[in-house]
Amino acid sequence: MSEALTSDNHLPAGAAAPRRAKPVRRFLRNPQAVISALVLGVVGGAVLLAPLLSTDPGAAELSKAFAGAEPGHPLGFDSAGRDVWSRLLHGGRNTLGGALIALAVALSIGVPSGLVAGYYGKWFDAVANWAGNFVMALPAMVVLLASRAILGPTMWVLMVVLGVLVAPSFFRLVRGIVATVRGELYVDAARVSGLRDRRIIARHVLIVVRAPIIIQIALVAGIAISLQAGLEFLGIGSGDLPTWGAMLNEAFQNVQRSPLFMLWPGLALGITSAALVLLASALRDVLEDGGTPPPRPRAARRARVSAPTTSDSAGARAALLSVRDLAVSYGSGASAVDVVRGVDIDVAEGEVVGLVGQSGSGKSQTAFSVLGILPEGGRVSRGSILIAGTEVVGLPEKRYRALRGGVVAYVPQEPMTNLDPAFTVGGQLVEPMRLRLGLSRKAAAERALELLRQVEIADPRRVFDAYPHEISGGMAQRVLIAGAMSCDPKLLIADEPTTALDVTVQAEVLELLRRLQAERGLGVLLVTHDLGVVADLCDRVAVMNAGRIVETGRTAQVLTRPQDPYTRTLIEAVLDDAPARPAWVAPRAADGAEVPA
Amino acid sequence: MLRFAVRRLAAGLFLLFVVSFVSFVLLSVPNLDVARQLLGQSAPQHAVDAKTAELGLDQPILARYAQWLGDALAGDLGTSWFTSENVLTAIGHRLPVTLSLMLGVTLVTAVLAFLLGVWAGVRRGAVDRIVQVLGVVGYALPGFLVTLVIVLVFAVQLRWFPAIGYIPLTTSVPGWLSTVTLPILSLSVAAVAGVSQQVRSSVIDVLRQDYVRTLRARGLPPGRVLFRHVLRNAAAPALTVLGMQFVGLLGGAVLVEQIFGLPGIGSMTVTYTTRGDTPVIMGLVMTTVVCVVVINLGVDLLVGWLNPKARAA
Amino acid sequence: MRIRRFPTAGSAGVVAAALVLAGCAGAGGGAAGQSDPTLDIATMTFPQSLDPVTAIGGALPFFQAAYDSLVKREPDGAYSPMLATGWTWDTDRTKLSLTLRDDVRFDDGTPFDAAAVKANLERFKASSGANAKWLSGLERVEVIDATRVVLHLDAPDPAYLYYLSDAAGLMANPAAFADAERLKTTPDGTGPYELDAAQTVVGTKWVYRRADDYWGERLPFDGVTMTVFDNETAIVNGLKTGQIDTAVVQDANQQASLEGATTLTTTPVDFDYQGILLFDRAGVVTPELADVRVRQALNHAIDRKTMLEQIRRGKGAVTSQVFGADTVAYDESLDSYYAHDPEKAKQLLAEAGHADGFELKMPRMTSIVSDAIAASLQSDLADVGITLTWVDVDQGDALRRIFQDREFSGFVMNNGQPATDWLAIKDLVLPGTFNVFGYTDETVRSLVPKIQAAQAEDALDELRALNRHLVEDAWFVPFYRMTYALVTDGGVTALPQSGMAVPSLYNYQPTG
Repeated sequence: MSEALTSDNHLPAGAAAPRRAKPVRRFLRNPQAVISALVLGVVGGAVLLAPLLSTDPGAAELSKAFAGAEPGHPLGFDSAGRDVWSRLLHGGRNTLGGALIALAVALSIGVPSGLVAGYYGKWFDAVANWAGNFVMALPAMVVLLASRAILGPTMWVLMVVLGVLVAPSFFRLVRGIVATVRGELYVDAARVSGLRDRRIIARHVLIVVRAPIIIQIALVAGIAISLQAGLEFLGIGSGDLPTWGAMLNEAFQNVQRSPLFMLWPGLALGITSAALVLLASALRDVLEDGGTPPPRPRAARRARVSAPTTSDSAGARAALLSVRDLAVSYGSGASAVDVVRGVDIDVAEGEVVGLVGQSGSGKSQTAFSVLGILPEGGRVSRGSILIAGTEVVGLPEKRYRALRGGVVAYVPQEPMTNLDPAFTVGGQLVEPMRLRLGLSRKAAAERALELLRQVEIADPRRVFDAYPHEISGGMAQRVLIAGAMSCDPKLLIADEPTTALDVTVQAEVLELLRRLQAERGLGVLLVTHDLGVVADLCDRVAVMNAGRIVETGRTAQVLTRPQDPYTRTLIEAVLDDAPARPAWVAPRAADGAEVPA
Repeated sequence: MLRFAVRRLAAGLFLLFVVSFVSFVLLSVPNLDVARQLLGQSAPQHAVDAKTAELGLDQPILARYAQWLGDALAGDLGTSWFTSENVLTAIGHRLPVTLSLMLGVTLVTAVLAFLLGVWAGVRRGAVDRIVQVLGVVGYALPGFLVTLVIVLVFAVQLRWFPAIGYIPLTTSVPGWLSTVTLPILSLSVAAVAGVSQQVRSSVIDVLRQDYVRTLRARGLPPGRVLFRHVLRNAAAPALTVLGMQFVGLLGGAVLVEQIFGLPGIGSMTVTYTTRGDTPVIMGLVMTTVVCVVVINLGVDLLVGWLNPKARAA
Repeated sequence: MRIRRFPTAGSAGVVAAALVLAGCAGAGGGAAGQSDPTLDIATMTFPQSLDPVTAIGGALPFFQAAYDSLVKREPDGAYSPMLATGWTWDTDRTKLSLTLRDDVRFDDGTPFDAAAVKANLERFKASSGANAKWLSGLERVEVIDATRVVLHLDAPDPAYLYYLSDAAGLMANPAAFADAERLKTTPDGTGPYELDAAQTVVGTKWVYRRADDYWGERLPFDGVTMTVFDNETAIVNGLKTGQIDTAVVQDANQQASLEGATTLTTTPVDFDYQGILLFDRAGVVTPELADVRVRQALNHAIDRKTMLEQIRRGKGAVTSQVFGADTVAYDESLDSYYAHDPEKAKQLLAEAGHADGFELKMPRMTSIVSDAIAASLQSDLADVGITLTWVDVDQGDALRRIFQDREFSGFVMNNGQPATDWLAIKDLVLPGTFNVFGYTDETVRSLVPKIQAAQAEDALDELRALNRHLVEDAWFVPFYRMTYALVTDGGVTALPQSGMAVPSLYNYQPTG
């Protein structure tokens, strides 16, 4: 579920946005999804057309029992002399139909109750949760036998009951996600703006649970199919009705005589459940990952970045950070897309440089590439980055790591998601210091407390011992700043350090940054979309649009006399009091095609 | 934490009570004609009626439940109608068999699934593909096919392990090991396949978290980030799945128990339920519910320990 | 005979380490330091309790270990002395005099005597045990002296010695009757073995060890373990790996899988037959069945040979009669009385006025009626115009609906063929038991009294006549007798027991 919540965070706006495509298109581009869906389609089609493709599955000619294939009977005959092919098709009908019923029942019970329990909580949550536990604790065999006795011994009844028994898994899933989502900002905002609960659930909550539910459906369908087979095996099956489970069971009875019998129903079951699992995992990629392609093996990646090109547009390079002709690419080969192109930036010691642009302009990608922490799939494909005189493009990971924390440090955008929820604040501050500075546990703890004091936290001891979820967002950002300072860096990369904070807290944190910068003589690369912050803090500013730097210069000069039309619109937007983050428009790649996933 | 545990236990007790009642009622629904099953097909009707009365089956259901509950509260779960064994003793003999399997499978699964899942989630690429394919194959293979092949190869052909039977841990440790190895192996195939995928996806999820990037930006070595931070955060969902797997094995090992001739809870549940041996089934139901409550509690405590946020919720 | 064949040192591999150790310790309950071997029997039948009143058919060996019976039944079905040294009938065949051993005592010192016999028989008759009906004709038991007792019957019963060699003859300690619950799990008899309660897991494994100072013939095994499995796959695997010494394997495919195993010996056992137990001959549920031609048509419609070949892999013999080969009534020529002849069946149906066919409903218990049986019967009957509808039922449900609600005209079952004619007649022909609707006819009425009043050997003509009549009048639709395999490993030999699916405990011998 955390996946759903953070899908916008794990790739910062600048990176994720341009690579978003419609789920359908992403689906069609995912070979695993397409192939598994095709397989399921073929199975479903064959099964639906069973009456046309085969004969009566019940017709038995005992003298042909165990006989091999013959014209009209491509798979031969089973132990009762029935046509295996036709039983396979008709059996699929019943098996898949049964699984569908179980699914439908489970969904129609589990999802609504999960939504309501998760969203409203209170007594309904308590009751529903208990009921879920109750159903899971019920002895399935007893329930199945009793329902057979009451409702008759047909497979359909069993599958309905099975649906009820599986429903808690949907309930728990949905309830868990919704309960977390409920506290999220955008739902709060929706609530404040007066939307009715029903609309909030429909517009905001359902979208979040959609992906996990679809995935769970594929998994549960697989489980329902195999359970159906299992029930046959236990002798509480379908009687005369052909099903894959019944076929497998029959094959098992005759395994000594004709082991090959297991093959067909086993294959049918195996292929169907495998296709379902593969489809589920592909759907997961499509719906939740934004279709990040798996990264190429390390060696290949390294080979690609090994040759930095020094551009002649360079001019003098700053001592602390100097970026030349930087390009960041996602994907490989023909489908590779540059999200950052030809970027030049310099940050001198003690200098604050702003990097501004809309969401998706590539500013965060630029920041990440300096730190060498691009999201998976991304790589520096061209250019040069010098940090304190060291070329980091193509630098072995180990030496690069030595720069991070010590020379260059990072303050992230979203304070709450950038602290490990499993460790205390103190633990997270102490760890890098012990590792990087070789301090003892005690010394590191003292230093951490000192740092907390420096970032103006009133009660350092309490915060030190607190878990991230126990402190406020502003507090968390201070902690992150303290963490960035902990190993005395020279260069600070701050990625929208105040965006996620309340207005009053924003001012305090900016003030803190300014003070620390002044005290320590830090060079700062401040990534932001907020021109106010730039005006307030920065010596120089670079404006980015669609992966390129469009304008660079002294802050006062750029803000008062913008040269580039884009810079002008940005400034006008602020003056007009328009929303700080205008609706995002899909940028075009260089060739004009929409950026693929 | 303690209050949480006590509250959960109390809820568990209530659950135990309700489940026992519902099960008892459900058990009386199929008219299994226990008396005639006991007496055989050729028994005359008057003998069947007499036997029915002897078993108390002519009493109303509520009276029978009250009787059962009273006895159960006094620690007497009765005796089996079909084998005359004391229910507590019978379950006491069989539970260790199933618990052996459950613990073994959970152990094997935990180790292998975590190794494979982490490996796949971290390395991605070819390794990931291979692990995924193995997972899908393991998941899609029919369980009894796997079990039969394992018996034929390792027991009947190679004679490395006994094909059937169970030697209690208390009798002989190596003997126990030899009798449970193949069953555990058979059950682990699907379990490892399923859980490793879960671990893989959790690991991938966590690797994408902002705090992992921040930790890397602080210059922590990847191994440390992985083993200290990623694993701990990825473990919680995997543990939940593992817990459910564990519970599922309580009744889900029927096939393996049957093929290996293991006197465990799973096959016991099936055979006694189809016969309608109420005292034994009720005993089994109680055992199962207790196991479920205890395991869920254990998993919750463990997850709470790993994930402080869950503790607060 | 416990000989562990696994694992031997050198059965290499990574896994082997644990196993080598296992091999040393694994022979649990072995025969260390003892002269005689032990016997491991696997079975799918288990006793409801070890109280003799609950003893039935296949579970008899569990009782034979702990109890002796009044009369011993030899493998061929002949009766020989055990606790009773002799027996005589009076001329009316309603008084059976027994003379008893005088040197037998129960474990607590209670002597086995006429009073004990009287107590046991009366208790058996009054019990709710499955076979209590056997003694329903026992008017009283007269104790003459300690070693002599007379059984007074209300009518002759040619199967009496059988009863006394079976469940009704098992003698328990009368002192134990006070606590019947105890007797269920703690057998108290004079038998050759005692239950080892510590090793026994009721429902799974029963372990017996040799009783001290057994009065009778010393059995060749120091201990006997009977393990219950719920499927034959496990049993067959156990036989192959030598973990089991002997078992009776019923399933034809499982039998076939044992054929390659050179260390195992297989002896055929003929006991069960399969067929439609038709009891609606008066046409209560299915009116068409009242016509003998319809019943004959059923018999002609069924292709017994193909069924036997395909379903039993030829392991058995087709038959049209319900009497087993060990009975006096058995007539080999009747085995092939009804040939597979759909044309004739159709003609018979047409003559009976059912040219358009009719519907026959039968319950289907999947444990007995496999897919192959269900489908082949359906198609065989469909060929002559009879629609066979299977009603899916669970075991317990089926019994109620067949015997109590009388919902069906018949059902397919595997039925044991007793070696004693009278038992078969009582079960199948006389009203009650399997004659659910109490149907009878003139021929039966005239033959039965003569049969009842004589020893089977002396009523040969009547028995044969009855058998022929039942076949010609198509009382039943038998398919075939099934041959089971009594499998023993190299260390044990076993003789099949006439009239039982499993050998008596006395029938096992160590090899060599």
